[in-house]
Amino acid sequence: MKFDEKLPQGVQDALNKGLLGRLPVTFQPFTRQHLRDWEFLFPRERQSVLRLLVYLSGLNGNELAARFREVVQLEEKMGVRQWQFSTDEQTIQNASLLARSGHYQEWRQAVQKIFDAADEHAGKDQDKGRRRLIVLVLPQRLPLERSQIWQRWQGVGRPIRLDLTLHGAAKSAADALIFGTPNVSDAPNGKGPLEMAARGPEASTADAWLVEVGQDLAKSALNQAAAGTSEPAAMLLSHERLAEFRDQFSHEINSIRKDLSDADGVYSRLRKMDVAPWCPAEVAARPVVREFLRTLYLSGNGALIFGNSFVEWCASEALRRARPSLLVAQFGVRSKPKPFTSVAVFENPDQINPLPAVEDLPGSAMDAQILAHYVWLAASRYDEYRSNTVCLCLAESLAEAYLVAPAEFALWRQAEPVSLSQLRQSLTDWLAEEVG
Amino acid sequence: MKSVADFVSRIRANGSESSMNRSRRTFLQMALQTAPGLLASLNLSRFSFAGTGSHGAGGSGQRAVLVVFGGVRRAETFSPEGVENIPHLAHDLLPKSLFYADARNEGVTAHFNAISSILTGNWQRVDDWGKLAPTTPTLFEHFRKKLGAAQSDTWIVASNKALTSLIGASSATDYGPPYGANVVFPKQLMVAAVANALRAGRTGNLADRAKVESELENMLEAGNYEGLGWTVSDMADRLDPRVRDTIEQAITSFVRSGGPTSGDELTFLVSREILRRFSPRLLVVIFSDVEVAHFGSYALHVAGIRTGDRLAHQLWQEIESNPEYKGKTTMAILPEFGRDPDGSATNGFFNHRGDTDCTRSTWLMMLGAGVDRPQIVERPVRHVDLCPTLASMLGCPAMESQGTRLTELRG
Repeated sequence: MKFDEKLPQGVQDALNKGLLGRLPVTFQPFTRQHLRDWEFLFPRERQSVLRLLVYLSGLNGNELAARFREVVQLEEKMGVRQWQFSTDEQTIQNASLLARSGHYQEWRQAVQKIFDAADEHAGKDQDKGRRRLIVLVLPQRLPLERSQIWQRWQGVGRPIRLDLTLHGAAKSAADALIFGTPNVSDAPNGKGPLEMAARGPEASTADAWLVEVGQDLAKSALNQAAAGTSEPAAMLLSHERLAEFRDQFSHEINSIRKDLSDADGVYSRLRKMDVAPWCPAEVAARPVVREFLRTLYLSGNGALIFGNSFVEWCASEALRRARPSLLVAQFGVRSKPKPFTSVAVFENPDQINPLPAVEDLPGSAMDAQILAHYVWLAASRYDEYRSNTVCLCLAESLAEAYLVAPAEFALWRQAEPVSLSQLRQSLTDWLAEEVG
Repeated sequence: MKSVADFVSRIRANGSESSMNRSRRTFLQMALQTAPGLLASLNLSRFSFAGTGSHGAGGSGQRAVLVVFGGVRRAETFSPEGVENIPHLAHDLLPKSLFYADARNEGVTAHFNAISSILTGNWQRVDDWGKLAPTTPTLFEHFRKKLGAAQSDTWIVASNKALTSLIGASSATDYGPPYGANVVFPKQLMVAAVANALRAGRTGNLADRAKVESELENMLEAGNYEGLGWTVSDMADRLDPRVRDTIEQAITSFVRSGGPTSGDELTFLVSREILRRFSPRLLVVIFSDVEVAHFGSYALHVAGIRTGDRLAHQLWQEIESNPEYKGKTTMAILPEFGRDPDGSATNGFFNHRGDTDCTRSTWLMMLGAGVDRPQIVERPVRHVDLCPTLASMLGCPAMESQGTRLTELRG
């Protein structure tokens, strides 16, 4: 992974001359925290911070003041100077103070204008033109209803029929699609979508992500890597394999008293804790992934509680922060809430209630369908995924997929059922070709 | 008579996703038109204002019950797609209601501020976690101070864990706790019982209904009501025996009924017991099962909507069957806010932070004595309008409010 970029001399000089201190109060926590956490940022995030700093360091004093005038005026209206506002890091207290200000939305827009100006100053981002692939998996066990399953997608793509006959040792259609099978002819040199995503001189493992409720994909990736005596070519994040991380984190978070300052205290403690002992090997070995997870769990959105929420939020955050070429998100099954103790939804139900867990298959299917769509919607927010991206939502129990793709994607007009090998080949070819 | 569902099907056939407002309007108009028999059968004369039974204090003799849901979007409730989640609101209650189709939260879309804005008629911008009381008087304080009502006449029963007892009274000069409401958080009792059992290594008890009852009663006996966030009349170390009996009866119904066991179920049962035993003139009930959405389960969120729909209807049935309330009670039902739209940077239905119509625009249903005739009001109204409206209905003098009394209601 390439995390060895140095700050340009101009930026370093500007920082040495106190650039950060001249930024508006509400702009400082983001900037300071990102510089401090530099080693835990993904390449694309570093690029974004650099763009901002290069832009700001190129402005003289008057230009800088003019650029930030709107933000500063809003800060005065909001009374930021009277707040207990951390300029060092982004805190819950900060977020709460900003959000309940009557000028919050104006402030957000004013801040966005600064980032837009920095992007405009930096010019075209070549990386935005790369081809990308998103695979969303609704696994076999989820009961799905053919007549309604794609309604949420509102016609943005089309369903395609699949022949999901499994060959060889493949555990599932998704497994065969990503890792291939001995009986299926793969792309030249036996490469599949995973290898294609992580190719090229600028590639890093942050270009490919496998996120799942269970651990089948992670195990296959680890087996494949072991066979090739190399590291897995992707970020591997399995809800199931992160059980200890979750339990330890939940235990700490549940100790929060009903008080924002205490919440920030606990969060601060959690930010400093050594989480490596709680991680599976593939996470423990990669500090950037460990920190990604720490931030993910601290940001809520059910990632600590429900596997499908973890997959959706993890995938959405990966898209936002790393803009990978390949993202595979496999959903799964959660249990029904247990009687009485379900009120304590933030506790591990299996630890506080001895009643056996009962799977909620229809509920899990309902959750997974909307959350899979949310992953696509999350991708759609970014330029990188608005064109040149194939998104495939695989409904294993229906032998069907929903395909969102540019017209040049090979299977876009396919009428006959598509075999797994055909599909794998097409997805591999898609990532292999450069945009013209 | 055709059902609402028939008309929903017609709307689905004729409408489109891009014409949501038109679709909503048509849906609601048709929903009213579908029930001419129901409307004709309403004996409006029974909604007289001759009711008595107030506790010796002044006022109109009217009563108010306010039901507040957590965040629910229009898409999952009053829309062609969402109506299946609210069969009672849409089929049983809408045809007899005064329905405001666009009731807006223009304040902070977080729980404590949203609820305290509704209860004070002023947009509150205090601490989100209930560390600070609302800064202007609540309806409870206004009602009690101006009309001399007793504390037992005003209750708030809530599931939402973002609330604290400070929701019952403001920090305003000359008002405050001496005029505040009784505040009870039944779900907090359950959460505390679970935590207690966990600490004491008695998690086995939580799988046995009889033992769950005993765990909950142990919490009542423990006497640390402030720890539960409660404020109840003259509360010292022990609950007033009537209050204690009320809660115990609700717990018994909750545990032994064999029915659902969510926080809102217990909140409903406690509310019902309070209605039966104390007959308060002003009761606020806050349901929040829907807030499981924060954890990302859409199925459980929708289940929470269905639970709220059923419990709101049951509460209305209780009012209609209770002589202390029948014919002299106005019930208002509204969500605190919507939730964020699908595809938002705030993760859609999980949260309620967006500055969008999806998050800010909700609905308000009024039922009972204050309703002259069922109708749908399309003009936007604001959450802060409800407080001065209810105050007027209860016979209070006008209060200082950013809201305006809703003129379609009596009072």
